[in-house]
Amino acid sequence: METNWVFFVAMIFSVTLNSTISDVINKNLERTLDITSQLVKTTYKLTVEETSGKPLKDYEFIVREPNLSYISVKDGFNKKVEIEEIQENGSNLLKFNLTFSEFSSKQTLLIETVSTKNILAYPSHIKQNDKQLVKFVGSLYLYSKYPTYAQKTNVILSSPNILSHTQAKPFLVSSNKIFLGPYENIERLVDEELVIHYENQSPFLTVNTLGRTIEVSHWGNIAVKESIHMTHTGAKLKGPFSRYDFQKDGRSGQSAVKSYKTYLPASAFGVYYRDTNGNISTSNMNLLRDSVELELRPRFPLFGGWKTQYILGYNVPSYEYLFSSGNEYLLKMHVIDHIHDNMSIDEAVVTIILPEGSSNIELVTPYSIKRRQNDLIHTYLDTVGRPVVSFSQQNLVESHISQFTLKYRFSKISLLQEPFLVILFIYIIFLFTIVLLRLDFSLTSHFHKD
Amino acid sequence: MNRNSKILNNKIAGYSSLITFVVLLIAWIAGFSSRLFAVIRFESIIHEFDPWFNYRATAYMVQHGWYKFLNWFDERAWYPLGRIVGGTVYPGLMITSGSIHYILHILNIPVHIRDICVFLAPVFSGLTSISTYLLTKELWSPGAGLFAASFIAIVPGYISRSVAGSYDNEGIAIFALQFTYFLWVRSVKTGSAFWASGAAISYFYMVSAWGGYVFIINLIPLHVFVLLIMGRYSPRLLTSYSTFYILGLLFSMQIPFVGFQPIRTSEHMAAMGVFVLLMAVAALRHLQSVLSRNEFKKLFIVGGFLAAALVFVAVVALTLMGVVAPWSGRFYSLWDTGYAKIHIPIIASVSEHQPTTWFSFFFDLHILVCAFPVGLWYCVKQINDERVFVVLYAISAVYFAGVMVRLMLTLTPVVCMLAGVAFSGLLDVFLQEDSSKRMPNTINALQESDEQDESLERKSLYDKAGKLRHRTKQDPTHDSGISSNLKSIVILAVLMILMMFAVHCTWVTSNAYSSPSIVLAFHNSQDGSRNILDDFREAYYWLSQNTADDARIMSWWDYGYQIAGMANRTTLVDNNTWNNSHIALVGKAMSSTEEKSYEIMTSLDVDFVLVIFGGVIGYSGDDINKFLWMVRIAEGEHPKDIKESDFFTDRGEFRVDAEGAPALLNCLMYKLSYYRFGELKLDYRGPSGYDRTRNAVIGNKDFDLTYLEEAYTTEHWLVRIYRVKKPFEFNRPSLKAKDRLIPPTNFISRKNQKKRKGLIRNRPIVVKGKRTLK
Repeated sequence: METNWVFFVAMIFSVTLNSTISDVINKNLERTLDITSQLVKTTYKLTVEETSGKPLKDYEFIVREPNLSYISVKDGFNKKVEIEEIQENGSNLLKFNLTFSEFSSKQTLLIETVSTKNILAYPSHIKQNDKQLVKFVGSLYLYSKYPTYAQKTNVILSSPNILSHTQAKPFLVSSNKIFLGPYENIERLVDEELVIHYENQSPFLTVNTLGRTIEVSHWGNIAVKESIHMTHTGAKLKGPFSRYDFQKDGRSGQSAVKSYKTYLPASAFGVYYRDTNGNISTSNMNLLRDSVELELRPRFPLFGGWKTQYILGYNVPSYEYLFSSGNEYLLKMHVIDHIHDNMSIDEAVVTIILPEGSSNIELVTPYSIKRRQNDLIHTYLDTVGRPVVSFSQQNLVESHISQFTLKYRFSKISLLQEPFLVILFIYIIFLFTIVLLRLDFSLTSHFHKD
Repeated sequence: MNRNSKILNNKIAGYSSLITFVVLLIAWIAGFSSRLFAVIRFESIIHEFDPWFNYRATAYMVQHGWYKFLNWFDERAWYPLGRIVGGTVYPGLMITSGSIHYILHILNIPVHIRDICVFLAPVFSGLTSISTYLLTKELWSPGAGLFAASFIAIVPGYISRSVAGSYDNEGIAIFALQFTYFLWVRSVKTGSAFWASGAAISYFYMVSAWGGYVFIINLIPLHVFVLLIMGRYSPRLLTSYSTFYILGLLFSMQIPFVGFQPIRTSEHMAAMGVFVLLMAVAALRHLQSVLSRNEFKKLFIVGGFLAAALVFVAVVALTLMGVVAPWSGRFYSLWDTGYAKIHIPIIASVSEHQPTTWFSFFFDLHILVCAFPVGLWYCVKQINDERVFVVLYAISAVYFAGVMVRLMLTLTPVVCMLAGVAFSGLLDVFLQEDSSKRMPNTINALQESDEQDESLERKSLYDKAGKLRHRTKQDPTHDSGISSNLKSIVILAVLMILMMFAVHCTWVTSNAYSSPSIVLAFHNSQDGSRNILDDFREAYYWLSQNTADDARIMSWWDYGYQIAGMANRTTLVDNNTWNNSHIALVGKAMSSTEEKSYEIMTSLDVDFVLVIFGGVIGYSGDDINKFLWMVRIAEGEHPKDIKESDFFTDRGEFRVDAEGAPALLNCLMYKLSYYRFGELKLDYRGPSGYDRTRNAVIGNKDFDLTYLEEAYTTEHWLVRIYRVKKPFEFNRPSLKAKDRLIPPTNFISRKNQKKRKGLIRNRPIVVKGKRTLK
């Protein structure tokens, strides 16, 4: 039913759009491309106008770049604009339908997008002492269904060392910035490439998989365990690795990742950082006012193409995240948490383990996720098993750090089950011992003497 | 009156069992916690070398199940030969921890198998002390048993093999050993087939756990034999030994690794011989009751000699025919300490196979080594069937411990037991009269336990009631001559000694036996901070993450198990040194020049070479220091190519500096260890290339590697990994040395930047051509 409904709405929209398409123009666009890290962070400040003066209800926004990870749209009054993705077969462009909350003929849009894997190492293999050069390929103009009256683009780079970039006049290069434009009267659906080849030594770390397990205990503790597979996805190391150069020469291996910082919640305690071979002894923890800063050093510096995996775990007190009223409980926690700055997660699997006996589980997430099969897990002192809620999502970035809420019902009496089990167990042992010692199991009958 | 005494008896029995329980519990807890130094200082981690294999095998068993484990062919070891793990391993250890894991998981306790493996030995130390208590109780008295149990819980000689993380066969085998002996002594005492079968089952467990079971299967027959010689034959002995031997033999043959050895190898022949002898004696005894005295005497002498000769001839003949295998090398080295050095360098190269120093006796056993002859003397003085056993146990174990450091382990339990007897005897004498007085708590406990032994002894002694009478007779004579002052002085002195023993044990455990050896810690002398060198795990983890899954890694055999366990990669040789020629081949590759070893390495499909190099941090256990063993082992198999004398200077020194032998300075191991080390300056004033381990500036500083390239070196240069290049990767595959004009040596050193560049400029063309072809 629901899909039908969506389809119906989309149909209506497309019909209305087609009828009014010629009247909408992009009056002005200021775009900022931040490509200082491995992510492409774009902010659009877009003024849209309905030239015929009719109130503008919706707007179709097309994202040209692949691997879009995150998008947020606000209007001029800093109010959220409803986003709906338009499903279209046979096209790899992402189209969004933006519905304004207030109708007027002139609208301002503030759009932020983050995309991954659009900055690629070029050359793709470098030697240990080489600099990491990367190539960014994007679109020079806004790829839009509507004609654009004026637009300009500011590109922020990680270093002033620019090898080449698309020479579309007018442009201005100053230190690590490129100002492109203003370009005027761009027709609709004009697809021009913007190529920038520059030096980028920032860590190109990709989290291949993140397995995040949140185990809720009603005894006052929430245990979080993150198991992380990580790859350096920058320029791959070619030829030998020399520890001598790496130690003596500061310029050697600049693109290698020696350490990075992870921020945990301020109340985190009992932090561990280990892998299959045990504790990774090279890490530091600083307690800050609003967070716990972990300086993680992988066992070895990560050069291009090198992988590592580890497990990071900590506990947080449950009163900060678990709320209750009677037998109804509400868990509010981050879907994912900070791993390193400008992180990019290919796939995250979040597993929430609730106490034994929880029922009526309802999950609300801030963005769409893929629910997995609910499961049962058996751990300490369990009889029927704890319910497990699990979901996954692909291509996540820092902007996805936001809270989910999980409602469930748990009767407080079942809290006593575990201590009761322990008591029973010990009681049985004592009983067994008493019986065993008092009874005579020998086959032959002893003559009892004093 | 009768009722009163009954209540009193019950009360005493209650107190004594409470005390026994409490003392054993405390011994268990103390033994467990004193083994935790490594876990607290470092972490819950598997130690050293062999434990890594055991852990890996256990993890495999837990993951794939028991039958898969028995049929496990490990293609990741001994490349390209592989290893049949299921048939070449004592599975007792894996079964033990595997079943603990299984039971815990049934109870929904999701403990990781690694933690079970780490804590298995400390837990079993508690069981060992309980079985030592039981054994000593059988041999002497419950009081001595409690002493012995407390001693063995903390004695360093046993802790050295059973700290948390030292997941090795010995950890559970000592328990099995003591428990088997307990059951054996019990069965000799009672003559019941029940206890004898118990001993056989326990022996089965021991066989499944450790190769040291041979000690049991020789000691028990020796006991029987000596009892026969002493004329202490009894039907009880016949029952217990025949039951034990037959059942034990059948059981032991169920272990795939042991198989038919119990009937085919010389190590097990004594047991069979004694069995035959015992049967003969039993038959004679029977005849004795039938025949007249004179007839019997004749028959005895003639028949006895005939039978002995027959058995001897049969064993010799079978050995010569090859049905019975002769003594294995390791056992030869038990009789002739020089044997291994000459014939089997691979056994001699292991430090724990060296003869024991006097110092280590005291270090491992402290006061017990002094007290134990006293206990032995007590036992000899008041000999009975089971004390013959402990005397033999003591004598043989002392001998073996003197031969090999490693066998200190088998000496430790008997030393604890006899020292327990000695201390108990001492306190018997000096505490007897004070029993009415109130004493401090500890002494009270001891004294009460002594009371309790008597009461228990009275009950439990089925035979040899004379033993007790001896003691009751002795005690008053002692007491009468001793003043109470002297008594308290002696008791104080004994307590002081025991206290110092406890302190010594803790100190030794914490300082000598609690290093995981894969994580090194050192104290910074300047600011007193503790630094951790984690280079081994760094390198192994690098291997596991950044090499192909089927990459083959060549290293000296010491690191084989660790590479397999931590890096999960294929190794050529490992600590299961079953194939000497394969190890010799690796040794040859390490001690040849780069070019020659490249041939060996390509023939063995080596992808990476791993060497341990301690020159930067002064780690003495590195490969250069082990290098002579590699040369020796290689020379044993390839005497034409490798000669140990080539690696010494003219004056017979092994040195790595400029005066070192040219064969050493150009061999692969030297180059891999010192590659680019010549440029490294460890401190500002010192020369570059100064090796801290050997305190010398290295002799061959400036060289390049042709056939290998550095793949990874850990932070402190402790582990260096090199990648073996494929034939197309170096740019002169067809340029043999003789085809080229060899420039004079000084010409190379004058090579300027320009000429080098020229060479490099040519290189990519060739490489590209090859690659595109590929």
